[in-house]
Amino acid sequence: MSDDLIRKWELSRRRVLGAAAGLGMAGLSGSAFGQSAGPWSVAPRSKVDRVNFVVWTYGDIYTRIAKQFEADWGVKVDSTISSFNDHPTKLTTMFAAGEKIDVSQSSPFSFPNFVSQGLVEPIDGLPGAADYIKDFTPFTKQVATVGGKTMGLPYFSAVWVWNYYADMLEKLKIDKPFSTYDEFIEHCVKAKKDGVSRYPVLWVAGVGLEQLPGTWYQMTWNKGGTFFDRQGNHQLGPGSIARETLKWWANTFEKGLDIADPESLKVQFTTSAKAFGAGKNLYRGPNDHYGLNVCNDPAQSPIAGKVKVLGSPGDGKTIGVTHVYFLTTATRDKEWGWKLLQYLGGKTKDGNYTQAVNLAKDAMLGSGYTSVMTSDAVKQGWAPWGDVPAILGIWDKAAYIGEVCSSVYQPWHFPWTDQLNIEVQKCLTGQITADVCCDNLIKGIADAKRKV
Amino acid sequence: MTRSRARRGPWFRREMSAGRFALAMNLPTLVFLGLVLAYPVAYAAYLSVHRVGLAQLRRGEFPFTGWENYGRVLEDPLFWVATKKTLIFTFITVGSEVVLAIAIALLINQAGIWTSRITRVLILLPYAIPPICNGLIWAFLYSFQFGFLNRILFSLGLIDNPVNWAGNPDTALYAVTVPYIWRTLPFAIILVHAALQGIPRELYEQAAIDGANAWHRFRRITWPMLQQIIAVILILRTAFAFAVFEEILAITQGGPGDATWVAAWYSYKITFSPPNNFGMGSASAFILTLMVAAIALVYLRFVYRRVTL
Repeated sequence: MSDDLIRKWELSRRRVLGAAAGLGMAGLSGSAFGQSAGPWSVAPRSKVDRVNFVVWTYGDIYTRIAKQFEADWGVKVDSTISSFNDHPTKLTTMFAAGEKIDVSQSSPFSFPNFVSQGLVEPIDGLPGAADYIKDFTPFTKQVATVGGKTMGLPYFSAVWVWNYYADMLEKLKIDKPFSTYDEFIEHCVKAKKDGVSRYPVLWVAGVGLEQLPGTWYQMTWNKGGTFFDRQGNHQLGPGSIARETLKWWANTFEKGLDIADPESLKVQFTTSAKAFGAGKNLYRGPNDHYGLNVCNDPAQSPIAGKVKVLGSPGDGKTIGVTHVYFLTTATRDKEWGWKLLQYLGGKTKDGNYTQAVNLAKDAMLGSGYTSVMTSDAVKQGWAPWGDVPAILGIWDKAAYIGEVCSSVYQPWHFPWTDQLNIEVQKCLTGQITADVCCDNLIKGIADAKRKV
Repeated sequence: MTRSRARRGPWFRREMSAGRFALAMNLPTLVFLGLVLAYPVAYAAYLSVHRVGLAQLRRGEFPFTGWENYGRVLEDPLFWVATKKTLIFTFITVGSEVVLAIAIALLINQAGIWTSRITRVLILLPYAIPPICNGLIWAFLYSFQFGFLNRILFSLGLIDNPVNWAGNPDTALYAVTVPYIWRTLPFAIILVHAALQGIPRELYEQAAIDGANAWHRFRRITWPMLQQIIAVILILRTAFAFAVFEEILAITQGGPGDATWVAAWYSYKITFSPPNNFGMGSASAFILTLMVAAIALVYLRFVYRRVTL
């Protein structure tokens, strides 16, 4: 079976080389955009009547790309789309039930688990994969490379930024947003005291992989700390930056300064952006930069155009992530699965990064490809929602989340994050202290490892 | 021999014995229940004593682990937190349902109080709402800044600031009990109302002639006659309340912290979140089942038998 596959790919490579010889010599540019000749434009030899993907919802991007695939290749695309939070459950139950799944996607937090449980098919050696890998951004390389193998193509990348409501700042007669954490507290206390905002800060701290943990990771990293060092030793002990950051953070809630919006602990990424659009808070964040495309969208936000982006205090260090698409081991046909994977996370038949460019233009998402990030797609596509040079400046100061919390590469990170969500919410609601919270999390590392 | 067979006729023309007839009548139900209930339960029991992750499910090979999954569940502090929350939730919801069901059933059973068919349908309506929809409706009602509940309370002057019903660890569990009671109460009302209608009117008339007031009539006639159905309600509602899931999923997702982390939510998270430990999830579900069975036995021993003997 595997020999057959190898022979198929050898043949494909030969055909690809033939196509490249015929067309590639015709003086086509070496740019990553618009190369019509290449592995992406060659039809697989095998025959399938349909392919499918299992993804989480994002606007109508999947309807559009599925239609394009069907038009280009005459193969029907079935889609299973659930919410972000439900996606791992949907995917894993389909996989466990023995259903065919050609392509799926993952956050960087679930990905090591999916790999370790045998859901993910490596893509090294597939036609054109080497070209994609060369174009990966550093973030993408860190997520997609597991055990020396390339396990997927990038969906999108994002960095953590702050947002502020410019009109409210003006009303407070503060000429510029905070540049230190002390200033942040001063502004919030003043906003509350002056009656301009009852809850000046909306944290993005709902239960999840990115929201609540991400906020803590980001502020800890910005203040010079980490959660685990490269050897995997935790950095949560007494006096650690992570622990002190949590104390500072908890103090903004009801039992401290009472400047944090109580909705903070419920909101997920998109709902927090929508809630901020109501214009009741001064600051929001730190969270994914593309929240601006909600806050500054006139159809979704009464304060559209008034929400500005802000980097983090000090040297501006922040964090970022890349989400990935991957070929599953449950694919009905590896060649067609790879073809579909490229439509989602690589190039379409015309040689364009169609999906990545559309995501940049329509949803303000960053790309996992260097060529897209440096293209006009980002510069022009993001412009309606935010200050592009400012965001790209923040981007340059971003480290992949794995630098801050190296456990994201481990299968036990997911169950440990479940505990982190519980303990930190208890801390932020005043049920336990930050010290108890961190001590519990240290104990929880061993428990999480046992659950894997 | 031949004569005897001829006298009795072929087997399908013979009259069935009572036992066989009962078996034949019950067979379709037994087969159906076996397929939809017994098989999944037995399969879950099988999974609970094996190592079952995604890879094993896909391959169909499950290494036997004995009681290891049960041990890991019982050692997990979160399981005990979930059990405690479940017991509190069950106590509040079942207790409230019984009291409210009796009160409402008595009210609509009054000959002097006219209730239209529309009113009776409206009373039943919450029971027809899918649990997840019920959860979502109440999640909107509870919204901190934009929720209908806070708006009403604020308009009535009962609160000065919005209350974070579902986001405060002190109120979250109670915030989940209300939608649950609202959805399941009609079931209890139907049962109590039916039982009330079965009480002969003459008993009340004779008691009235003897000078018994309303309280005495309730205590001496209504309550004893209701005890049997109350025992049934207690058993059924306790079993269902132990398995509460949808309202938790829609309103709090177990939070804030572990404030609403109930047993079914624990089993769900263990099973369907990475690393997808189906074996441990099945074990936790079985422990939950044993707890419900134990409570049902207590009810039978101390409530049901006492009222039926």
